[in-house]
Amino acid sequence: MKTPFRTAVLAIVSKDLRAEIRSRELLSVMAIFAFLCILVFSFALELDRVAREEAISGVLWVTLVFASLLGFNRSLAQEGDQGNLDAMLLAPVSRPAIFLGKLLSNYLFTLIVALVILPLMTVIYNSNLLKGWLIVTTLLGVFGFSAIGTLLAMLTLHTRSREAMLPIAMLPVALPLLLTAVRATTNILNDNPAREWLVWLQLLAAVTVIYLTLCWLLSGFVLEE
Amino acid sequence: MMRSLLRLLCLISILIFAGVVLAQGDEDTVPYIQLSAFNTPLLEGWENQSEDDFAQFHYAEAHATIRSALVEIGDPVAAARSDLRRAFGIELGEAIYQDKVNLADGTWNVLVYEPDAVASASVMARRAGSQSVVISFVESDPEARILMLTIAQSGDAREDAAAEIDLALSLLASNKPADLVETSALALPSGEWTRAGGAGAVGMGMVFGNDSFLAIGEGETGNLPKLADAYNRTVLGFFITPDNAGYLALALTASFAILALLILSFFWRSRNIQKDLELIESLNQAGD
Amino acid sequence: MTTKTKVMPTRQTVEATPMPRALQLLTIVTLVGFCFTLALGLFVAGTDIQQGEIQRIFYIHMPSFFGAFTAFGLTVVGGILYLWRKNEQWDRIAGAGVEVGLAFALINLVTGAIWARPIWNTWWTWDPRLTSAAIMALTYAAYLMLRAGIEDEARKRTFMSVYGIFAFTSVLVTLFIIRVVPETIHPVIVGASPQNAQGSFEATSGVVMALVPSLLLWLTLMPITLIWHRSRIEGRLEAVNRLKLQILSE
Repeated sequence: MKTPFRTAVLAIVSKDLRAEIRSRELLSVMAIFAFLCILVFSFALELDRVAREEAISGVLWVTLVFASLLGFNRSLAQEGDQGNLDAMLLAPVSRPAIFLGKLLSNYLFTLIVALVILPLMTVIYNSNLLKGWLIVTTLLGVFGFSAIGTLLAMLTLHTRSREAMLPIAMLPVALPLLLTAVRATTNILNDNPAREWLVWLQLLAAVTVIYLTLCWLLSGFVLEE
Repeated sequence: MMRSLLRLLCLISILIFAGVVLAQGDEDTVPYIQLSAFNTPLLEGWENQSEDDFAQFHYAEAHATIRSALVEIGDPVAAARSDLRRAFGIELGEAIYQDKVNLADGTWNVLVYEPDAVASASVMARRAGSQSVVISFVESDPEARILMLTIAQSGDAREDAAAEIDLALSLLASNKPADLVETSALALPSGEWTRAGGAGAVGMGMVFGNDSFLAIGEGETGNLPKLADAYNRTVLGFFITPDNAGYLALALTASFAILALLILSFFWRSRNIQKDLELIESLNQAGD
Repeated sequence: MTTKTKVMPTRQTVEATPMPRALQLLTIVTLVGFCFTLALGLFVAGTDIQQGEIQRIFYIHMPSFFGAFTAFGLTVVGGILYLWRKNEQWDRIAGAGVEVGLAFALINLVTGAIWARPIWNTWWTWDPRLTSAAIMALTYAAYLMLRAGIEDEARKRTFMSVYGIFAFTSVLVTLFIIRVVPETIHPVIVGASPQNAQGSFEATSGVVMALVPSLLLWLTLMPITLIWHRSRIEGRLEAVNRLKLQILSE
């Protein structure tokens, strides 16, 4: 008798949420890191107004990727170190449900960080990032990163020096997402007409769907071991 | 058997190197001159005034000179100023056009000057370490006004040289013709050019890479194709090193080295396996 | 049971597998083909009038990318089949594919850089295609690091099959990036849109004649032969390691 899929997914998400509300370990680390990242970029690049407008989407996405890497590593490490993952594998729950549960909670945390840094960057870089389509791009892009990030974090969990292995494994694979998201963001930020950026958004959506499908199909194998 | 194959591979690579070295210099390449710092295509029909540290070609009929030089100044704009003062004794004054383009080897400053009523100078300059590379086209024909321009392509102009000519004319022509008539195509050694003009001014354009190479002429413009071709051959062929068999040998060596490393690692690993096996064998016998 | 009878059967599987005739034949054909296509490119094809001798490196540069494509493609196939059938043989092929493909990708990058020096006057430029090719090589370097970092054998095989499938996206990006990001200066010889390129040359019949055999060789025989050899070594290595464990546990 297996726990119904939806119940299992929701149980994992609410477990992660409750743990986070109590410890506030993940979100605070990610948010502080993202904040630092943005400040360091603005110092390191010594941005004048024009350069800032051109670099801003790159800064946004690099910050998001690094912060999410930090989050994925921590969230899966918590599961692994405390034997929680083994417990979940023993429970009568389908493998994809475990993957989806972890994916959704990772997505939620990264999204919260993203939604915090968007207004923050709007203020610091003095450029309006709170546009409808830009938020859609962020929702999509962060989802894509969360999907491969969750799967690869499960994969690197059992390697030597896993904190170093996740970025190495994930960054090259995330490149198509990063490329399309940055292009879409730049165009939306510059108020370019929709025909110039819609194709990037569509590509981003396509890559996200492909990655999600692949992760879904392969999660069973990764969790089997 | 693998060992003999490896020997064969070594032998073949040696033979190929010998072949490449022997084949060097047999074939025709684009004529060029090699200076201590760079290479530049030889312009036939132009008077060669080059010396060891700069290349300079003069075309008397059009009062035009094309010069390439390496200048000991880091700032490309200052370098262009200094080079033209040294070579032609002209003070450039304020640029009438100034922008940057990205070519494969870096960012070039595109500068156009009109120091006096007769002379004009179109310059491409790029930083090269602590020095600068300056390619300049200087023309002092009282009958004509000829300017050269390289611009990054605007998004939609990718295949439309006529639109780029129109842009160049509106940027630089003193009297831009209302309509561009008589558009025609021209095949020159530097590439496929489009020529378009109207009353008083003519433009030529070639779309290549991500950039458009343009020339505009006013007054007596009969020499425009020849000048535009020569200048842009210099710009585009500036770095190509036609005697590059050495690079071919280097690339082949690198390729063979990587392949050889891969194959050697196979041998090395098999030998290690063999050693381990012998060790296990001896342990086994000792255990008996 | 004595120690001897326990160990001996495994030992035989390690040593007594001579190279199959098919592999011997394949190795010879590949070597001959390699020399033949190289001779075509170096001596038979004409010299490019603008680029000179260096243009000949193209007969290695482009085929080596497609060789990497085949090798990494075999990694994907091996990965899928391993996940499906759980036969270790497929994982060995997948692992061997990465090593061979990485060597080919390195050849591709190095020859490209050496070509760019006399033609573009720079070893490297941050062009989309060059960047994605470098990232492709790095992805597979990450694969090898990851593979070395997982200790449990069964887990390693499964995980690396999964990562091998993901890593292939970097190959696809390199292939298709110029369709998506057209601001590249990398020449396109096969297919459309050479007007963006700097350092292009015409694919005359002479070029095609020298290119097609080389391309076919790198696309099929070279990766297959090398991967076969490599996966045989991996098989023996695994058998020896099993033998070692067996002895240690006694």
